[in-house]
Amino acid sequence: MSERGSIMLRAATPSAGRLAPSVLSGIASGFSAIALLACSAWLIARAAEQPPVLYLSVAVVGVRAFALGRAVFRYLERLTGHDASFRQLAAIRTGVFERMLPVAPDGLAGARRGDLLARFVDDVDELQNVPLRVVQPLVSAAIVLIAAIVGVALLAPASAVAVLACLVLGIGLTLLAQSFASARAQRELAPLRGDLQAAVLEHVQSVDVLVAFDAAEGSRARIERLGDRLARATRSRIMAAGAASAAMTAIGGFAVAGSLAAAAPLLEDGRIGGPAFAVLALVPLAIAEVAAAIPLAATAWRQARTSAARVESAVPEQVPAGVPVPPVEPADPPPAGAPPAISLRGLRASWPAVAEAVAGDGDPADAATTRNGPPAASGTALVQVDLDLVPGECALLRGPSGAGKTTLAHVLVRFLDYDGSYRLGGVEASELDPDALRRIVGLVEQRPWLFDESVRQNLLFANDAATDDDLLDALERVGLRDWVAERGGLDAPVGERGSLVSGGQAQRIALARATLAGFPVLVLDEPTANVDAAQASALMHDLVAAARGAGRTVLVISHAPVDDRLIDRTLAIAEGRLDGRSTT
Amino acid sequence: MKPLDPRLIRRSRAARRFLLVGGALALLQTAATIGLAYALASLVANLIEGERMSQAWPLLVLLVASASVRALAAWSWELVGSAGAMRVKQELRRDLLESIESAPAGVPGFSSGRTTTLLGPGLDALDAYFGSYLPQLVLTVVSTPILIAVAWAADPLSGLVFVIVLPLIPLFMALIGMATAGVQRRQYDSLGTLSHGFLEVVGGLSTLIVFGRARRQVERIGAITDDFRKRTMAVLRVTFLSGFTLEFAASLSVAIVAVSIGFRLVWGEIDLLPGLFVLILAPDIFLPVRNVGAAFHASSAGVAASDDAFELIAAAEERAAADVGAARGERVADAASGVSLVGASVRRGGVVVIDGVDLVARPGDVVAVTGPSGIGKSSLFAGLLGFAPMGGEVLVDGEPPGAAARASIAWAPQGATLSGGTVTSNVRLGAEHADPAFAQRAMRLAAVGLDPETPVGHGGTGLSGGQAQRVAIARALHRALATRATVVLLDEPTSAQDPAHEAAIAAGLRELAEDGCLVLVATHRAGVVAAADRTLDLAGAHV
Repeated sequence: MSERGSIMLRAATPSAGRLAPSVLSGIASGFSAIALLACSAWLIARAAEQPPVLYLSVAVVGVRAFALGRAVFRYLERLTGHDASFRQLAAIRTGVFERMLPVAPDGLAGARRGDLLARFVDDVDELQNVPLRVVQPLVSAAIVLIAAIVGVALLAPASAVAVLACLVLGIGLTLLAQSFASARAQRELAPLRGDLQAAVLEHVQSVDVLVAFDAAEGSRARIERLGDRLARATRSRIMAAGAASAAMTAIGGFAVAGSLAAAAPLLEDGRIGGPAFAVLALVPLAIAEVAAAIPLAATAWRQARTSAARVESAVPEQVPAGVPVPPVEPADPPPAGAPPAISLRGLRASWPAVAEAVAGDGDPADAATTRNGPPAASGTALVQVDLDLVPGECALLRGPSGAGKTTLAHVLVRFLDYDGSYRLGGVEASELDPDALRRIVGLVEQRPWLFDESVRQNLLFANDAATDDDLLDALERVGLRDWVAERGGLDAPVGERGSLVSGGQAQRIALARATLAGFPVLVLDEPTANVDAAQASALMHDLVAAARGAGRTVLVISHAPVDDRLIDRTLAIAEGRLDGRSTT
Repeated sequence: MKPLDPRLIRRSRAARRFLLVGGALALLQTAATIGLAYALASLVANLIEGERMSQAWPLLVLLVASASVRALAAWSWELVGSAGAMRVKQELRRDLLESIESAPAGVPGFSSGRTTTLLGPGLDALDAYFGSYLPQLVLTVVSTPILIAVAWAADPLSGLVFVIVLPLIPLFMALIGMATAGVQRRQYDSLGTLSHGFLEVVGGLSTLIVFGRARRQVERIGAITDDFRKRTMAVLRVTFLSGFTLEFAASLSVAIVAVSIGFRLVWGEIDLLPGLFVLILAPDIFLPVRNVGAAFHASSAGVAASDDAFELIAAAEERAAADVGAARGERVADAASGVSLVGASVRRGGVVVIDGVDLVARPGDVVAVTGPSGIGKSSLFAGLLGFAPMGGEVLVDGEPPGAAARASIAWAPQGATLSGGTVTSNVRLGAEHADPAFAQRAMRLAAVGLDPETPVGHGGTGLSGGQAQRVAIARALHRALATRATVVLLDEPTSAQDPAHEAAIAAGLRELAEDGCLVLVATHRAGVVAAADRTLDLAGAHV
C-alpha cells in the first residue's frame, strides 16, 4: 500500500526533461555563488603575496563572471521553474478532474459543503509547488553541495569532513525541530485556533443579541481566555521553529571554524598555499547559504504532501458504494421528446460513506475548518419508496427536513445508486447510461451553480444552439425578462457564484436554463429554500408555472406549501418512506 | 504601501515593545556579524602570515562564539516576532470586538462576512508581518548603517562603493516597481483567475453533469490553464527583474570590492586583514535589504489587515458619535414603567424609515405591532434597544433608548441567533446564575418542548427552524422573568410555527403579561394579533 498522497505527488512532479532547465539554472546559480566567494578569497589572498598583476587576471575575470552569473542564473531558475510548474498545473488539474468524473457529484467528499470546495481547489493548486519549491531546489542544492564538498575535499579532505559534518548536523537538527513544531501545531494549536475562530465568529454574528442580553462581556472574556491559551500553546511551537532557523544560521559559522581548523595543519606543513587556505576558510559560508534551501524545501514538501493526501481522499479512487457505475452495454433509452412514465417500486438508496476531510499535518487552518464545520450530513436513506409519475403531471413532494427528499431527487437523476426498481418508460434506469438518462430527467438543484459569466453564457451552456430570442423567451417564462432588460440585457454579469443576483433570481435563471435544455422530466429540489419567506410563495408560483409548460413531467420538492391550482397531486415523504403509487 | 503603519505603533503597546526589543536584538546581531567577520579575517590573515594554530585559538573561540550569538539572535527573533504578533493580535481583537459591540446594528461598510474575515485570516496575516517582514525592516534600519560604517573604517574605498551601490537598490526597485505596477496587478489578477476558472468547474460539477457538459471540461481546463501560463509567464519575466536587480547589485558590489582590494593589495596600498574583513562583511551588508524585498509580499496582507482594522474602529466610533447626537427624551425618574412614544421616528443608515409613531403601553399589555413586511417593525425594536437612532419622545421604563433602557428590555430577534451549547445555556444567556425554575417556566411558556440538555451547534445547527425560534422566545422570556426587564419585544416569533405551537406561544405571552410584563409583538399572524389587547399598525408611519 503506497503512502497516502503519493499518487497525487507523482502526478505533480514533471518529467526530468521538463525540470531540466530550472534544475540546471539552479545548479549554475548555486555554483556561481560558491565560486564567487572562492574566487574572491583566492584573489585577495594571492594578491597579498604581491605577484605580477597578470597572475591575477583569471581570478578577476572569474569574480566578475560569477557575480554576473549568480544573478542571471537565479533569474533564469525562477523563470524556468515557474514555467515548469505552471505546465504541470494543467496536467494536475485535468488529472484530478478526470479522477472526479466517475464519482461525481455524490461520491466526492465535501461535495455538499461549499466551504470545503475552495479548500479543495487550493489543495490542488498547492500541488504545483512540488516542482517549484521542492524538487527543483532540492535537486539543485544537493548537486551543488556534493560538488562543493568534493571540491573542498580535493584541497583538504579533513576540511570537507568538517563541513559535511556541520551540514548534516545542522540540517538534521533543523528538520527535527521543524517536524516537532509542525506536529505540535497540528495536535494542539489547530483545535485551539479553531475554537477561537468559532468563538469570534459567533460573537460577531450574534453581537446584537449579546449586547441586548448583557452577555457581550462574558463572550469577550471567553474569547480572551482562548486567545491566552492559544498564545501559551504557540510559545513552545515557536521555540522549536526558532531552533530550526537558529541551527541554519549557526551552520555557516561552525562550518567555517571546522574547515579552517582542519586546514590549518596543512598550511603549517606547507602542503597548501595561502590562497588555497583562504578559499577553504571562506567557502563554507557560501556552502551554508546554498544549504539553506533544503529546510525550506522540506517545509514545502510537508505542505504539498498534506494537500496531496487531502485531494486523494476527497476524490476516492474506487467508486464508492452508492454511486452508480455506468453499465457496460447500456440499454436504449426511451424515445426523447414526450416524457416517459416513471415508476419506482420498493426503492431503497443511501448516500455513500465518504471521508469528509483528512486532518493535515502542518497547516493548522485545515484542521480548524474540519473541526468547526457542521457535522457531515450523511444524507437520509430511502427505505421504501413507491412512486408513479404520469407523463405531463406536476407532483408536489412534501416532507420535513431529513425525510429523504433530496436523496430521492439525486436518485432520479442517477447521482445516487438504488436498490429496487426505477423504470423510465419501461426501461430499468440502472441499465441506461447515466448521461443518456440525464438527457431525459433534469434537476434544478437547491443551490444552483451560476458560472461567473454573463446571463447569456449561463443559459447557453444548457443549449448552445439557442438564439437570443430563445433565451429571452426562457427568461420571460420565469419572470426575468424585465429584470434582465434593466441590467442591460443578456450580457449582464451574474458575479462569482451568482453574487450579483439574489437567491430568487438565481433560481429563476437556473430554471430558465433547465427549460432551455428541454428535459422532458424536471425535478425542482426545494427551489425556495434559500429565499426570504416573504418572496418564497410568489417565486414558487412562478417557477412551477414556468416548469409545467410544454407537457413536461414535473416533480416539485418543497417543505413549504404550494398553490393547489398548480399541482396535480401532493405526495408526503417521511423517514425515507413514500407511497406515491398512481391511483388511476 | 507604507512600510510601517504609524497607527499601529501609536495604538499598540505590544507593537512598540516589539520594536524596542527588536532594535536591541538587531544591535546584538550586528555585533555578532562584525565579530564573525573580524575573527575569520584575522584567523586567515594571521595563519597565512605564519602564526601557529595553537596561538590562534582565542580568535577561533571568538568565531564560534559570534556564530552562536548570531544563531541565538535568530532564535530570539522568532520568539519576539511571534510573541509580538500574538500580543498585537490580541490587542487588536479586543479593540475590534469592543468597537463591534458599540454598534450592534452593524458597522457601516463592514458586513459580518468582512468582519469575520478580518478577525480571522486578516489578523493571522499579522503573523507574517511581525514574524518575517518587520524583523528584516528593523534589521535593515539598525544594521546596515553600522556595517557600512565599520567597512568604511576598515577600507574607505570599499565603504564608498557600498554607500553608492546600496541606495541604488531601492531606487532600481522603485523604478522597476513603477514600470511594472500595471503588469504586476495583471499578474495577480490572472493568477487569481487561474484558480478561479478551476474553482468554477469543480463547484459547478453537479450542474455540468446534469446538463451533460462535464466531460468536455477536461480539455477546457487544460487549454485555460495553458493560456494563463503563457500570459503569466510574460508578466513574470518582468516581475522577477526586481529580484534580479537585488541579486545583481549585491554580487556585483562584492565583485567590485574584491577586485579593487586585490589590486590595491598587489600595489601594497592595503593589508590582507582589512581586505578579507571587508570581503566577508560585504554579503551581510546587503542581506537585510534583500530579505526585506523578499518578505515584502508576505507583509502586504498584514498591512491591509491592520488598515482594515483601523477603518472598522473609526467607522464604529463615527457611528456611535452620530447616534449620540440623535439622543432624545429626557430621563424621567418617576415616570410610569412601560413604553411611551410620542411622534417617534427611527432612522436606519441615515434614512428615516418610520415616523410619527405614538404609543403608550404599560405592564400587563400585549400589543401587536403590525404592517406589511419591510414597513419598519424590526427597525422600531432596534430603535428601542438603542441600536438605531430614534427621534421624537421615547421612554422605556422612564429612560431614553440606550444602555439604561436596555436593562428593561428582553428581546427575541427575527432570526433566532443561538450560540453553541445546550438549549438551557441558550435560554439562560446573560442570566446564568438565576434560579433554574425561571428557565423551566420560560421554556414552558414558549412551548419549547425539547430536552433542556439538547445540544445546540454554533449558529443553532441541530435544531429545526421552528425549534430554534421557540428557544429564542424562551431566552427572551427568561430574561424577563429572571431580571427586572419587563418590556418584552418579540419580532415575528411565530413565523416558523404551526398553528398548535402558535396558540401555545400566544397563551404564554398572555400569562407573562399578567405577571407584570409589557409584551410588544411584531407579527402578521392573525392568531397572535387576536391574542393581543390592541394593535399598533405601522402602515401609516412608514416613510
